[in-house]
Amino acid sequence: MNISTIANLKFFYIKTKNISLFLSIITLILFIIGLYWGLFIAPPDYLQGNSYRIMFIHVPAAWLSLQVYIIMAVTAFIALVWRVKIMEIISIQCAPIGGLFTLIALVTGMIWGKPTWGTYWVWDARLTSELILLFLYIGVIILYSAFTDKRQAVKVTSILAIIGLINIPIIHFSVEWWNTLHQGPTVTKFEKPSAHISMLLPLLYMLFVFNMCFITILLKRIRLGIFQREKNTKWAEDYLND
Amino acid sequence: MIKTILLKELSIYIRNLNSVFLPLIFFFLIISIFPLVLGPDKVLLNKIIPGVIWITAILTTLLISNNFFKEDFNSGIIEIYLTSESSIELILFLRIISCWIFTCLPIIIFIPIVSLLFEIPFSSSIILVFTLLLGTPILISIGLFGSALTLGLSRNNILTPILIIPFYIPVLVFSASAIESVSIGLPYYSQIYILLALLMLILPTMPYLLKYTLEFSINN
Amino acid sequence: MESLKISVNSATCYKNNSVIFSDINISLKNSEIIIIMGSNGCGKTTLIKSISGIQNLDSGEIKLNNKNIATIGSDFKEEIVYVGHKNSLNNDLTTIENLEYLSAFDSTTDISNTANIRNLMKNLNIEKYKNYRVSDISEGNKKKISLMRLLLTKKKIWLLDEPMSYLDDESINMLINIFIEHQKKGGLIFLTTHYDFSKKINACKVYTMKDAELT
Repeated sequence: MNISTIANLKFFYIKTKNISLFLSIITLILFIIGLYWGLFIAPPDYLQGNSYRIMFIHVPAAWLSLQVYIIMAVTAFIALVWRVKIMEIISIQCAPIGGLFTLIALVTGMIWGKPTWGTYWVWDARLTSELILLFLYIGVIILYSAFTDKRQAVKVTSILAIIGLINIPIIHFSVEWWNTLHQGPTVTKFEKPSAHISMLLPLLYMLFVFNMCFITILLKRIRLGIFQREKNTKWAEDYLND
Repeated sequence: MIKTILLKELSIYIRNLNSVFLPLIFFFLIISIFPLVLGPDKVLLNKIIPGVIWITAILTTLLISNNFFKEDFNSGIIEIYLTSESSIELILFLRIISCWIFTCLPIIIFIPIVSLLFEIPFSSSIILVFTLLLGTPILISIGLFGSALTLGLSRNNILTPILIIPFYIPVLVFSASAIESVSIGLPYYSQIYILLALLMLILPTMPYLLKYTLEFSINN
Repeated sequence: MESLKISVNSATCYKNNSVIFSDINISLKNSEIIIIMGSNGCGKTTLIKSISGIQNLDSGEIKLNNKNIATIGSDFKEEIVYVGHKNSLNNDLTTIENLEYLSAFDSTTDISNTANIRNLMKNLNIEKYKNYRVSDISEGNKKKISLMRLLLTKKKIWLLDEPMSYLDDESINMLINIFIEHQKKGGLIFLTTHYDFSKKINACKVYTMKDAELT
């Protein structure tokens, strides 16, 4: 914990205060536009009717759940190898956000499943992989919270996150394998729809909005993480008193 | 050095026969509860017993590996490992192997008896033993990784299983799939090859990973 | 005789946001002994763990002959013996077996000379426990067994954490004589203790650790 890194975290914390506020407002506006686009402008699907519209939440959330895990593991790697403090904080703060996206993807997937498959849950490859991903996130979060010494916690959780990333393709492959072996008739009904451009555009837009959401929440959480770690230092006390 | 360490591991397990027999007894106990829960329906039991055996194997390896490093940590021998110029990776490798030989191998040896009790066909039984031979070293290695991860914690009894069960999924899927394939007369070689590949991937890399994790766990 | 020098340069270590020790500078050359004293929980153990390379520093460095120990790795480990506060013995093995097991981690230890080992055990009054399981031996005698590593090794740098705990007065004096012998051979000793024996030994520096600093 030398002078330059403390200054670095302090610099980051103070400089990002306004950016964080600005991002929150922008993201909220973008999100409302996206919802309006997805719910009212985009045409109904000829097969699924209006129920497909939950895709505008489900697909970006599922995408982000994986993307955030990759970011978490890569930053964990950087934190371990080059001992960059800000990366430690980013990595560990990614976990709850990624877990949230995974949960959203699962819940929306279940809601979507009711009109499509007639049941809330089927053991299809994608939903099962997503569920396992949720358990991986939960593992990272609880391992981190179990340690009282947060610096040791970060190191140990980083290893878990990296090994988890190596394992995700293997797990995914095995689940695909398992699924093809036990494929029921209901699953084939849910093939990837050849999306029309009028549905694809709002979907891509929502993906962008979800990325913005992620960045906004992550920035807020990084600032929180910095503050938690540095709360005993002089600058943090000065900052609170101002 | 290899000889010394293996001999010592041998004497530790022989003097502590409980650590050899308890997993075995636990394994049989869990397997014999299933008919009590599901009813003595031969057809149903015969269909699910390979899966039951695998789930039980997972529970048993979890219990074996959960506190594997705890005793070493408390006695301080891990500090000796980490300050020694000897190859810690080799020592850890030997310990994984001896742990497997003394706790999992006895269970696998008794699998034919379980097969008799549940009337598993001979062909399935052979594949079951084969998948267990390939799969349990992977389970033990991953379990030890979990044990090393949570070494710095005073209470980790249920945390470690939660962390590592997701990593068990590939082994479980391919083993179960191999057994199912052989029972319905489909080829099962690819699943066995994948298990072998996983074993070949994990066994040589795990000692390095364990060493790295132990260093972090000790460092507090 | 090869010359060895360990230096600790502005070492700082944190735990849970609080400082364990900061800006510590000490150095140790051949035939020197450093004793670190201080109350419980003052960070003596963390310091000696840092010097043995188990504990990472937050800033500063530990050097052996002006080379950072983090970069020379096993070259450093070839020179040191670390005897921790814990006895590092396996309860299911006998005394002799434990010594054999521990010798597997130290290439300079020769365990084959049984007469020599019996002799050393006789000097320490633990000969009758030779074939006892360690779980049946008292704490003080366990400590002696773990300290026997020092008599069997040819390594020069000894890093000892609380070597005198559990020992009776007679054994402590014996240990001090062992230190003096080691010093004559040009050995370096770094130890933490509550018992100030510096008057009995030459070339011995005593530091007290208090409020994260050494004085």
